[in-house]
Amino acid sequence: MNHAASKLNASNQDRFALKLTSRLSDSADALPHDISERLRTARMQALGAHKQAKLATSSQVLSNGMAATLSLSGSDSDLWRRAASIVPLLALVVGLLAIQFLGNDERARDLADIDSALLTDDLPPAAYTDPGFAQFLKSRQDH
Amino acid sequence: MATEQELSDFLKSVENRAFKRSVYHVRNEESALDIVQDSMMKLAEHYGHKPPDELPMLFQRILSNCTLDWFRRQKTRNALFSNMSDFDSGSDDGEFELLDVLDISDDSQQVESAESSTQRAQTLREIEVEIQELPARQREAFLMRYWEELDVAETAAAMGCSEGSVKTHCSRAVAALSKALKAKGIQL
Repeated sequence: MNHAASKLNASNQDRFALKLTSRLSDSADALPHDISERLRTARMQALGAHKQAKLATSSQVLSNGMAATLSLSGSDSDLWRRAASIVPLLALVVGLLAIQFLGNDERARDLADIDSALLTDDLPPAAYTDPGFAQFLKSRQDH
Repeated sequence: MATEQELSDFLKSVENRAFKRSVYHVRNEESALDIVQDSMMKLAEHYGHKPPDELPMLFQRILSNCTLDWFRRQKTRNALFSNMSDFDSGSDDGEFELLDVLDISDDSQQVESAESSTQRAQTLREIEVEIQELPARQREAFLMRYWEELDVAETAAAMGCSEGSVKTHCSRAVAALSKALKAKGIQL
């Protein structure tokens, strides 16, 4: 009973409210010309903003797409760039190792030549440590 | 996604009511125009890509938020310049503008007799005054629910409150309006 009464009350309330708002609609439909014009201008501006937002979105999508494409194709070139940056470093290391190896080899050969010259000479190497022989050499140079 | 034409048609269909609603809230035509323009811009810029059937709800919500922002700004302004705001926010001006609106609406209804037209305008003016007198939340709920024809759930979503609150606000608003208009001898 109470439920039915409240339902009836709600429907009366709705009916009354709709009558009121239909009056309001009459007044809203007949706005002064200057207000209507300003609303129209506002609408046009909003549509312009919509167009710009749409353009901005599409250009962003395009630039994102291009960036994605570049980065996608750039994965190979990035590898090559890294490889290319390593090559001079590798060359430097190889060069240094080669210089060291060749230098060692030459020094060893020089030492071997000196050793072989000393060993194959008529004079034994021990003679150079003899003070008498050193004196003999010195006196020969003076003459 | 709404096309430009659909968005344009939608804005055209709601702009007058949105303006009147804002006038009822802020009682100032210039401010109401600013609020409607802001709302339209926000809808177009941020939600123009939404499907057309979502636009009414979004617009109502944006309009409510813009109105709320306006009140917040006014509150700050009033706090800063209390003397100036007293001068600016004269409600007499608003009522005078509404009378202008009513005069124009009289001109557009040429088929009616002068007497009935005047009476109709007077009734409308009384209704508008009473709507302006409602508490803000009741007025908002009433206008969304019955003028914008949103259902209870949509109104609740737009107002950011429960469905029960919407029903209560609407019921109180209708009761207050009914009582006030009856006291003025207005029959609908």
